Amino acid sequence: MSQRANYYEQELDDADDLADVGLNLTIGNYGGLYEDAVPRIDEATLIAMQQHVAQQVALAQVPDVVKRFIIQFHQAILNNNLPEITACYENGWNRFTEQFYAKTEWPEAEIIAPLVNDNPVFLILYRELYYRHIYSRLAPNVDDRFHSYENSCELFNYLLNSEGPVQLTLPDQWLWDIIDEFIYQFQSFSQWRSKPKLKSEDELQMLASEAESSGGSQLWSCYSVLNVLYSLVQKSRINEYLIGVREGCSEIELVEIAGEYGSKPLYRMLGYFSLIGLLRVHVLLGDFTLALKVMENIELNQKAFFTKVTACHVATYYYVGFSYMALRRYNDAIRTFVSILNFIGRMRQYHTRSYQYDQINKTAERMYALFAICNCLSPSKLDDQILNNVKERYADQISKMSQPFTSNAFITPNPTTPITPGSPTAKASAASEALAAYSELFLFACPKFITANAPPYNDQDALTVYVNDPPEEPATRHLSLFLDDIRARAEVPTLRSYLKLYTSLDASKLAGFLEKDEEELVQLMMVMKSASRGVSRVNNEGTLLDGQMITTSDLDFVINDNMVHVVESVINRKYGGWFVRNTEHAQRVYDALKASPLPISKQTPAANAGSNTEDTKPITQDAKRTTNVPWNASTRKVEFNV
Amino acid sequence: MATPTASATREWLQPSNRPEIIDTLISGVDRYNPSNVGILEDYLYHQTRTNEYDCLANLAILKLYQFNTVLYNADVVVNILLKALTATPSPDFNLCMALLSEKIPPSGDEADSEHDPATLLPILSTLSRHLQECQFPAFWRLYQDDSLAYLRENFTVEVLGFEDGIREVVVRAVKSTFTKIGVARLGSYLNLSGDALEDFINNVGWSLDANTGTVTIPPNPDNTVQPTIIRETITLPRKCFALVPMSPHSTVELSRLIAHAT
Repeated sequence: MSQRANYYEQELDDADDLADVGLNLTIGNYGGLYEDAVPRIDEATLIAMQQHVAQQVALAQVPDVVKRFIIQFHQAILNNNLPEITACYENGWNRFTEQFYAKTEWPEAEIIAPLVNDNPVFLILYRELYYRHIYSRLAPNVDDRFHSYENSCELFNYLLNSEGPVQLTLPDQWLWDIIDEFIYQFQSFSQWRSKPKLKSEDELQMLASEAESSGGSQLWSCYSVLNVLYSLVQKSRINEYLIGVREGCSEIELVEIAGEYGSKPLYRMLGYFSLIGLLRVHVLLGDFTLALKVMENIELNQKAFFTKVTACHVATYYYVGFSYMALRRYNDAIRTFVSILNFIGRMRQYHTRSYQYDQINKTAERMYALFAICNCLSPSKLDDQILNNVKERYADQISKMSQPFTSNAFITPNPTTPITPGSPTAKASAASEALAAYSELFLFACPKFITANAPPYNDQDALTVYVNDPPEEPATRHLSLFLDDIRARAEVPTLRSYLKLYTSLDASKLAGFLEKDEEELVQLMMVMKSASRGVSRVNNEGTLLDGQMITTSDLDFVINDNMVHVVESVINRKYGGWFVRNTEHAQRVYDALKASPLPISKQTPAANAGSNTEDTKPITQDAKRTTNVPWNASTRKVEFNV
Repeated sequence: MATPTASATREWLQPSNRPEIIDTLISGVDRYNPSNVGILEDYLYHQTRTNEYDCLANLAILKLYQFNTVLYNADVVVNILLKALTATPSPDFNLCMALLSEKIPPSGDEADSEHDPATLLPILSTLSRHLQECQFPAFWRLYQDDSLAYLRENFTVEVLGFEDGIREVVVRAVKSTFTKIGVARLGSYLNLSGDALEDFINNVGWSLDANTGTVTIPPNPDNTVQPTIIRETITLPRKCFALVPMSPHSTVELSRLIAHAT
């Protein structure tokens, strides 16, 4: 254990070295010019003074309300006053951003430092907000990207390598945002870094010298990011704590299990959010099993910790759902998406102001798209409401994805695949349309995949090669793996539509329908069989990776020599949901009626009387009647019964 | 067979013969330590010699390669992918490919590019696609093609039970789809004929009827199909009905209502 800790500290030290690189260099230069030391010092003082003056001028330009806000914010953090900090973080900061800094940076930390007595902790937190604002509202330049990394390192160093746990209290939302933003900036840097073609000379220079630094590039490297997250997990003993909670340990026992750090809400939540962060990083790097593995102690339900922060709740389900999809566990993916989309739907009415609301909505849209994909691959009738929402959004793509097409229509690079001569062009175009629809939704909805390594910035020749022959984009690569899965199942819908018509038929006859020879058909049947079986987690037993083999299709068949026997499971109509929806609807109608003003005007009795005769009834009345059918119907029914 | 409540993925997540040291290694943060790659690679070669399979441990190797391109060893990658092929129709092969994202460093001797293990990756992908699409005869045709002699002579020969592993894939697909299958067809799927085929059929517990030339596959959950009707069952709390007559007030209300209605 201690060895492991050392390993990490060492890594973090490396990161420190990096931050120091610039400093060492400057000192070196001064040393070489020792003769000139005296005038140079004067010059340095002069520069320092000029900077001081410039800072004071800049500070004077900061609006007074903002100054007061910063002082108040600082005071709240000094006093560990959680409600006050929350107010500053969630309201004050956003309000002043809108008012003064919608299109420019907040004042730099050095400028406002005098207001907060140069309190280093506050300045680190301030910079965290400062850079996050740049990333979300403006375009970060190369310096911002480098410095935001350094600031993150400083923050995590302070949290992890101070003597004992630090006395700091921050709202859960902020803690989540810290982890979330850290990974976002990592992802953003990786994507920016992977495009050497678009870099200016200066940027290339900086990236090259950075890559030359001792021990390889640390800046936003996978190792440094994972180090931070795993260190937080270990320091807070969050896994042990969650196991304790699951086993029903008492409060006192839990404090003991969590230890010095983990018993503090700050560390416990950071540890917990780091697990979610790891889930995300592993998905971004394409390691879907590991992604679900780190979640093994987190139970996905409405009582879990992550529900404390909505953004975290949504992100968790998105990445878990996507991982399931990559593992071809489409049923699990569908269940995950349905659960969170229902939650978002319910939340929508309460939660519209938050600056994260847009982000949540975007993620929800992507999950609807993923749901559409999964549902085409493994149709389920889990939730009509969500299904309707999906159809509303992606009707076009769904109809393309579910139209039958033949896998032989693809031009495969493999010469051993027999290409059916004269395969109808209509089928080929259906195939490309279906694939195009799958690709479109996948690329829209997939996570922003990244590559683990930087292009060779420190090697000019290798870099030229890289620019001329860039590797495939990570998203494209994952897409092509995904499409491989789809191709294998391409003809299942066609086959299914024929099988639905029979209880038993001869294999050769079926082959005739599909314009195939019998052998091809039999192979296709085996594909269909394996596509109708899948691993799925039943009753939330075990970890996220556990599951049982289940039948995912309502149509099953078996081949007895050359005869195909087909059976279908019938799902009776679900009344429960229907009644619930209509009862809710009736309730809404009833509430609306109660809330509307009493009809006083003279026309009302006439209109009421007129409703019996078709001619005099106003059109609006008619429209209202038809929308209220269940309500009307039920009243009429009661009358009949009586 | 596993009991119904046991997880179907248990053996995949944690094979029963995975050594303790590997288990600790891949469940902790030590899996990121480049100096551990040797232990995992040795374990892979152990798997190839003993016909064991541990997907998660192999993914840990690929993870180390992903982060440390200098470690990349094409031979190891080919072996991992061969092992993953035998796990079809599980997604193992694609899970491995997803980690082989980075550009593969070109190997030293360019003259021998035909025998470069890296050029085998597209071929392995094609093989995987054949298995995925249950095109077993096509799989064997390609596998035994002259152009793949290099793969057979240098790799699959070292992987104990590779061909039988592929036959396992066939067995899984066949036994879930068929109750009876023609022996010639089965032979083409298994790439076996004559006595070898008969032995194989007996070994898996199937029975061959020499007269009709069909193989009977005993019933299993996947090849016994029966129609089912799924009904929704909603249980309403009966309490609310029981309470109504017990309250004198509501009884009065009810009787008045009835009187009014009639």
